[in-house]
Order: sequence, then structure tokens, then C-alpha cells
Amino acid sequence: MKIKLELFGASRDFSNKDHIEFQIKEKTEIKDFRKEIISYLEKNFKDNENFKKIVATSAFCSEDNNIISDNYIISKDQKIGIIPPIGGG
Amino acid sequence: MLHTRIIDIKIEKIKSSNAEDFIRSSKYGASIIFTGTVRNINENKEVTGITYDSHDEMVLKSFEEIYKETGDKLDIKDKAVFIEHIKGYVGLGETSIIIAVACKHRDQAYVLSRYIIEEIKKRSPIWKKEHYKNEDSEWLKGNPINAN
Repeated sequence: MKIKLELFGASRDFSNKDHIEFQIKEKTEIKDFRKEIISYLEKNFKDNENFKKIVATSAFCSEDNNIISDNYIISKDQKIGIIPPIGGG
Repeated sequence: MLHTRIIDIKIEKIKSSNAEDFIRSSKYGASIIFTGTVRNINENKEVTGITYDSHDEMVLKSFEEIYKETGDKLDIKDKAVFIEHIKGYVGLGETSIIIAVACKHRDQAYVLSRYIIEEIKKRSPIWKKEHYKNEDSEWLKGNPINAN
């Protein structure tokens, strides 16, 4: 399956684009997708522990703009947003 | 009555006059306009500006949920609420957020205004990247959203 990971906040530093594309296995849970992202970061930003920490503390949101849990199963090609720790105002 | 918007600062300006116009009504006896602005020092670093990032759809959704809660939880039913937050770069002293509220009495208005800004800080997916005098910049840490 093809997942377009939309980047926000601190995760924007993971790429020059506003998203990263991933090929993942069918019926992958968010907790496993999180590991895929960490693998991508290890490959591309070897020593950047801070990036991995951002992924570990981030939530994710679905195409219909709902926060999804670690047990959420990704069952089709879709966009997923990464939501690092927030703080506006 | 609710107005919400994300203002892309590259395209337009955020204006408190819009907030004043929206909340003005003879049926309300109290109004408060809260503005958040960029300050010059944060954690002993000299700040020159902040870039705000936002997940627009989720932010607007969170504003609507917070507005609804002020009726359900705070029991403030009759009110006007105006919330605008910017995205993009703003310099020192410039406005990043306007929350304007109007309701019948002042005690409600203070509670309402405070509740909205505190909930936005906890729940709305907005991020700040601070820019410093020495030309460094840094995404601020923020609060994780609990999804489980």
C-alpha cells in the first residue's frame, strides 16, 4: 500500500517536501507504521536522535481529520498526518 | 455565534477590527478581545520572530469543538466568539491569535476567553518555530496529543 505521510511542525525537517511517501504492507497498524518512519529516519538522518524522539511523541491523524490510535489499522492507500507535540497561541 | 479562520499571513493580515465588528451587539454587556503577540525573549534567547505551522482542518475542527464545550460545560449559551490564528512568519510584537468574546455579563466573558485560549494551547494542532538574533531557529517542544 502507498501512504502519503503529511508533515507538520517539527516533522517538516524530515524532508524538503511537505510529505514523505511510504510503501507498507497491507493492514499495518499505526504502531508499526511509526517504526517504518523511524527506519526511514535512521537511513536518511543517521545520528539524529531528536528526529526519532519527535516520531515517538507524535500522534497521527486520518484523512478525515481524526486523531487515530496506535491500534488503528491502515487498510488502503491513504494520506496520514503526523502531529508532533503542539503549542500554538 | 462563531467565527473561525486560519489567516495565511503571506496573503492577508489579521485585524482586531474584524473581531470588534463580529462581536458587537447591544444584547451583550461584556466583551473581551484577547490578542497573542510575539515577545522578544523566550527562555533567555533573543527572539526575532516566529513561524507558525498549522493543520488547518484539524485546527478549525478543534475551535468548533471548544466553542461547543463552552455551551455544554461552562453553560454559557448566549455568546459571540471570534477566533483567528495566523500561519506563516510574524515578527516581534505582531499578532498571532485573536480571541474575541461577547456575552451578557463580565464574569462569563472572562471565563469564556480564558477557557478558549487554554484549550487551544492544549488541543489545536499549531506549531511554533522560533527565530533568534544569532540566526538560529528552533521548533518549540509543545505538548503531545494523547491518541490512546
